Amino acid sequence: MTAVIQATLNGIMMGAMYGLTALGLTLIFGVMKVVNFAHGSLLMVGMFSAYWLIKLTGIHPYLALLIVPPILYFFGYSLQDLVIKPVFKAERQVREPLTVIIVTTGVWYVLDNLALMLFGAEYRTVRTAISNKSFALGQFIISIPKFSGFVVAVATAVGLALFMRKTKIGMALRATSLDREAANLMGIDQYKVYNIAFGLGTAIAGIAGCVLIPFYYVYPSVGVVFDIRAFIIVVLGGLGSIPGALLGGLVIGLIESVFSQFMASTWTEAIIYAIFLVILFVKPSGFFGNKQDW
Amino acid sequence: MKTGLKGSLLTCCLGAALGLALAASPAFAADKVVKIGNVEPLSGPSASVGVQGKQAREMAVEEINAAGGIKSLGGAKLELVYADSKSDPTVGVTETERLINTEKVNLMTGCWNSAVTYPATQVAERYGIPFVVPVAVRDTITERGFKNVFRVAAKDSWWVRDQFRFLKDMQDETGVKLKTIAFVFENGDWGTGFAEKWRELAKKDGYQVVLDEPYPSTATDLTPVVTKLKSANPDIVLLVSNAADAILLTNTMAEMQVKPKVVLASGGGHADPKFLENTGDTAYGLFDEVEWNTDVNKPGAKETNAKFKKKYGYDLTGESVDAYAAMYVIADALERAGSTDPAKVRDALAATKLTTGPAMIVSYDGVEFDKNGQNTNAGIVIVQVAKVDGKPERVTVWPKAARRAGYTPVFPANK
Repeated sequence: MTAVIQATLNGIMMGAMYGLTALGLTLIFGVMKVVNFAHGSLLMVGMFSAYWLIKLTGIHPYLALLIVPPILYFFGYSLQDLVIKPVFKAERQVREPLTVIIVTTGVWYVLDNLALMLFGAEYRTVRTAISNKSFALGQFIISIPKFSGFVVAVATAVGLALFMRKTKIGMALRATSLDREAANLMGIDQYKVYNIAFGLGTAIAGIAGCVLIPFYYVYPSVGVVFDIRAFIIVVLGGLGSIPGALLGGLVIGLIESVFSQFMASTWTEAIIYAIFLVILFVKPSGFFGNKQDW
Repeated sequence: MKTGLKGSLLTCCLGAALGLALAASPAFAADKVVKIGNVEPLSGPSASVGVQGKQAREMAVEEINAAGGIKSLGGAKLELVYADSKSDPTVGVTETERLINTEKVNLMTGCWNSAVTYPATQVAERYGIPFVVPVAVRDTITERGFKNVFRVAAKDSWWVRDQFRFLKDMQDETGVKLKTIAFVFENGDWGTGFAEKWRELAKKDGYQVVLDEPYPSTATDLTPVVTKLKSANPDIVLLVSNAADAILLTNTMAEMQVKPKVVLASGGGHADPKFLENTGDTAYGLFDEVEWNTDVNKPGAKETNAKFKKKYGYDLTGESVDAYAAMYVIADALERAGSTDPAKVRDALAATKLTTGPAMIVSYDGVEFDKNGQNTNAGIVIVQVAKVDGKPERVTVWPKAARRAGYTPVFPANK
């Protein structure tokens, strides 16, 4: 029983972080209707930025949260503005911009290989003040880096949801997500909104990078590992849904952690994919998805 | 018109004769190269070991070429041709096909991952191209009656055999009795192969198995496995891990305060130079099994290691030493074959009796292949991660004869 409760606690913490990695993906999809295949690479960029910042300046990993996400925001903003937008404009008349998806795949390859050229294939972790530290909660052990990651993940999701509801930019993002033509007619610059959405999605990948780096390692193709998770989570929670991403993450985290206590952990992978398939059959729009998206 | 034709015919003949003469002259032959195809994981989860193998091969080939190349082939130089397997068996097979058919390599080496080496050697066997396997431990690679496959390193049943010998010897030496044992291993060919033999030997030696847990090497989080380990509470944990998961497991075990009496790893990820860099003090006390260690007492070992370290910035590893030795095994066979004809090279490899030269920095006494192509001399050492001069270092502890002078193993590591 102790092990199950311990596994549940771990599952919730790790699940929230999976949710955080999926948050940027779901935001970009929600607004742009583009499955961003470069998302994992953006997460990798976030992790490397956090890694170098902490390694070179020796600052506390959570101070990096104030520096890395803004940098990543501008990185994402410019990436969309310079690379993706031209393709979008060329495909203006098409409802499902397929070429854009292919462009994001190109960005994925370019970023991963650029990182490989710059940093090599090796694994890097940075030893911080909180690495491998934990505290006891009764007889249960809570890892400090994972717990902090959990708090940051929830705060980010809540913050993003509030931002989407309360601010003018948030409303513009939502309007564009509902109907890009109508939003355009109401005077919303569609492409600028896309820039912002992509920037925000990338900034969230930066946040995820900052909270992952104290206990996870970074290497150029690290994104792939999280990417597959993120895609499943986004479909599970509903494409474009912010609470869906968090909930989807928690579900995956809990399955992975709790089911592992009763069977070989290699099985949980299979179970996650099985659940993914079932959801696709039974409720393709996910927990909170908008039906009209599909 | 008539004379013109005659004239051109004459020129042709002269040209051909000149060409033949040139080809036969030593000056022309010196440009001859022997192409060695290498399939290695140069990207993906095992990329760092792939790169180690690549760099060690390059250093060996540089030395061989600088010393005059293959003399019986008129000073022919060795040339390395690389292909990236990405640790994927399918890619490994197509790349082996490509190296043999398109690049026309004379020999093959690789592929580190057992799962890639197994089918890749099959391809080479089909084409009759000699395949020297420096490392890839799966037993069956040299147990299929193949004629062209030669393995320099030990196979995994020998690794497991030595792990249990070590456990027994250490318990006899210290008087500590250990009863329960846990197996945690990556879910690939390598891990499952080890686990099969662990079960056999654990039963034979009377240990009680309290956990038998495969995990996917690409897992993002190994806390579930560590949680299981915590509730199983074993005396001994045996591990098979790649680099990334070895780092994650060690750090997560420290975080979750899981402290078995003995943690014994099986090389691979734990032997990767990145491992100590990324775990540091959480790795103290860990035992690891390797083909080689920098403090191994062999002539030339220290100098070769110093040279490698100067060149690439890190110490030689078991993987790189075997890759380095494999190049000398190939050079030795080519020298004796005096030909690049695959059948002749194959016969020369089969007759290998290498006991001297730069390759002998390996921890064992020589290279000699049995009828299946397995090096019968290959052996293993066990090291412990200890704090030496304030830094984590791998210290040879077993076999007892090879133990670093003045070091007493910490056994059990966590009381």
